[in-house]
Amino acid sequence: MSKALIIDDEQQMRRLLRMLLESRGYEVCEAEEGQQGLQEAAFHRPDVVLLDLGLPGLGGLEVLKRLREWSDVPVLILSVRDQEATKVQALEIGADDYVTKPFGSAELLARLDVIQRRRGPRHTPEIIAGPLKVDLLHHEAQIGDEALKLTPTEFALLKVLTEHVGRIVTQNQIVKQVWPGQSSDASEGLRVHINHLRKKLGDRGVSIVNEPGIGYRLEA
Amino acid sequence: MEAFHAQGEAMNDKLTSSKSREPVPVHVVGQFSWGLTILFVLASVCWVLLPYTGSTFSALVFLLAIVLAGTRWNRGPVLTMGVVSALVWNFIFLPPRFTLHIEKPADMIMFAMFFVVALSMGHLITRLRERERTAENLHREQEQLQAAKHRAELAAEAERLHRTLLDSVSHELKTPIAIIRTAIDGLGTANPFAAEIETATRRLQRIVENFLEITRVESEAVKPSPDWCEFLDVIHAATSPLQRELLPHPLRISGAETLPLLKLDSRLLSQALANVMHNATQHVPAGSEIEISAAVLPNDTLDLRVRDHGPGLPPEMEERVFEKFARAPGAPAGGTGLGLAISRGLMRAMKGDISVRNHPEGGAEFLFSLPVKTRQP
Repeated sequence: MSKALIIDDEQQMRRLLRMLLESRGYEVCEAEEGQQGLQEAAFHRPDVVLLDLGLPGLGGLEVLKRLREWSDVPVLILSVRDQEATKVQALEIGADDYVTKPFGSAELLARLDVIQRRRGPRHTPEIIAGPLKVDLLHHEAQIGDEALKLTPTEFALLKVLTEHVGRIVTQNQIVKQVWPGQSSDASEGLRVHINHLRKKLGDRGVSIVNEPGIGYRLEA
Repeated sequence: MEAFHAQGEAMNDKLTSSKSREPVPVHVVGQFSWGLTILFVLASVCWVLLPYTGSTFSALVFLLAIVLAGTRWNRGPVLTMGVVSALVWNFIFLPPRFTLHIEKPADMIMFAMFFVVALSMGHLITRLRERERTAENLHREQEQLQAAKHRAELAAEAERLHRTLLDSVSHELKTPIAIIRTAIDGLGTANPFAAEIETATRRLQRIVENFLEITRVESEAVKPSPDWCEFLDVIHAATSPLQRELLPHPLRISGAETLPLLKLDSRLLSQALANVMHNATQHVPAGSEIEISAAVLPNDTLDLRVRDHGPGLPPEMEERVFEKFARAPGAPAGGTGLGLAISRGLMRAMKGDISVRNHPEGGAEFLFSLPVKTRQP
C-alpha cells in the first residue's frame, strides 16, 4: 500500500484528496503548512507527496527545495498557479510533475501513478515504455519488433524522455542531459532533433507531446 | 521606463543648473555698475558725516558694503569694489585729502590693512557662497535622483502588488472551484443533478479564467517570450483542452505540416487560437467542419486562418466581436464575451493582430497575423 502525504493549507482540499486517495488504497497523512509538511515527510516516509505552492509561512517551492536536500520521494505539485515560469521553476527544483487546480480526479490519479514508477536503480539495461524498448547497453531502440534507426543525439534524447515516460521534462533538463556543458540556448537544435525523432517514432503508440513554454512529455 | 524618464529630467535640471552657475555677462555688468554706484553713494554720505565720525567710520562702512555685496554678487564685482573702495578711502578720507599720497606711517599701515581686509573678505565670502551653492545644487540633484528612484520603486511596488493581488484573487476563486470539481468527480455524474453541477462548474471555471486573463492582458502583464516551436505543437496545445467542445466538429488542418520551425511564444498563440476555436464551437451547428490553415508569407509573417461553416457574422460585427463583452445577437448563453478580446490582446502583445470576416463561401473566417522568424527543420 502506497503512503501519500498531502501538504495543502485548504482543509476541504485535504479532506477531498484524502477521500479520493483512500478510495484508491492509499494510506494518507496530511500537513497544513510547510514546516509541518517537512516533519511529516521525515516521520512517515511517504511514497508520494502532493504539494501545494501557496502555503502560508514556508512557501511550497521552499518546502520542495528543503525536501530535495535529503529525499527523492516523488513530488506532485498541485497548485492554482498556472504560469509557465512557476511550473518550470518547480520542475527544475525537483518536482516530478505539475497539476493545476482545478483538476480532474482521473488525471490526478494517473499522474500520481506515473511519478511513482520508481526512478531508483535500474537492474536491467533496458527501459520499456508501452511498445517502445530502449536498450542502453547496445544503444538501440525498437518499437514493437521494428528497430529504430537513430542518430546518437536522437538516441540520447529518446533515452531522457523514456526514463521520464509520462512525466514532463523541461527544456533545460533535456538540454543538460543530451548536450552536457552547452548553454540552454540550444532550443532551436532541440526542436530540430525532436522533429526528426517524432518522424521516426511515427504513429505507433508512442508520441512526444510538447507543453508550450515548459518542455516535453513522452506518452506511451 | 518611468525611472529612466525621471532620471532624464534630473539630468536636464543638472544641465540648466550648471549653466546658471556661470555668470551671464549682462548680469555681471549690472553688478559692477551697482557696486560702483553704491560706493559713490556711501562715499558721499561718509563725506557729509566725516566731521562727526572720522575716517575710520567710513572704512568700516565700506567694509560692510563689501561684505554684503559678497553675500549676493560674483567675485569679480566684489573684488573690484574692494580695490575701488580702498583707493576712494585713501583719496578722500585719508589725509592729505584728494591725493593718493599718505603721510603718516600709521595711516599707511591702516590703508594696507584696509586693502588686505577688503580683498580677503570679498574673496572669502564669495568663495563661501559659491561652495554653499555647489553643495545646494548637489543636494538638489541628489534629491531629484532620490525622487526618481523613489518613483521607480513605487512603480515596481505597484506592479508587484498588482501581481500579488491577481495571484491571490486567482487563488481565492480557483480553490473553491477545484474543491467542487473534485467533489463532483468523487460523486460521479450518474446522477443528473450532479451532471448539471459539473457542467456549471466547468462554465464557472472558464469564466474565472477568462476574467483573470483579460485582467492580465489589459494590465500589460503579458510578456511574450518567443522560442522555437513546431506549429503542430501550437495547434495541439490549443485543441487538447477543448476536446469536449471539439468532439462534434471534425477538424481539418492544412499547411501546418510543411511549415518551418517558427520562433514565437507558443503558449500565447495557442491560447489566442484556443479562444477562437472555442468561440467557433459555440456558434456553428454540430457536425460542421472547422478548418485551420497556416502559411508563412514572404515577409516573415505567420498567416493563420480558422474558418467555420456556421452562419457567419451579422453585418458590422467584424470589429465589435473583439470588444469586451460583445455578444452577437443570437449567441448561445454561457459565453463570457471575453474570449475574442483576450485573443486580440494576446496577439497584439506579440506585435501581431487578429481580424475576422465572412468567408465568401459562407462561415466566419478568423485571420491571425504574427511576425515570426523561421528556420527549415
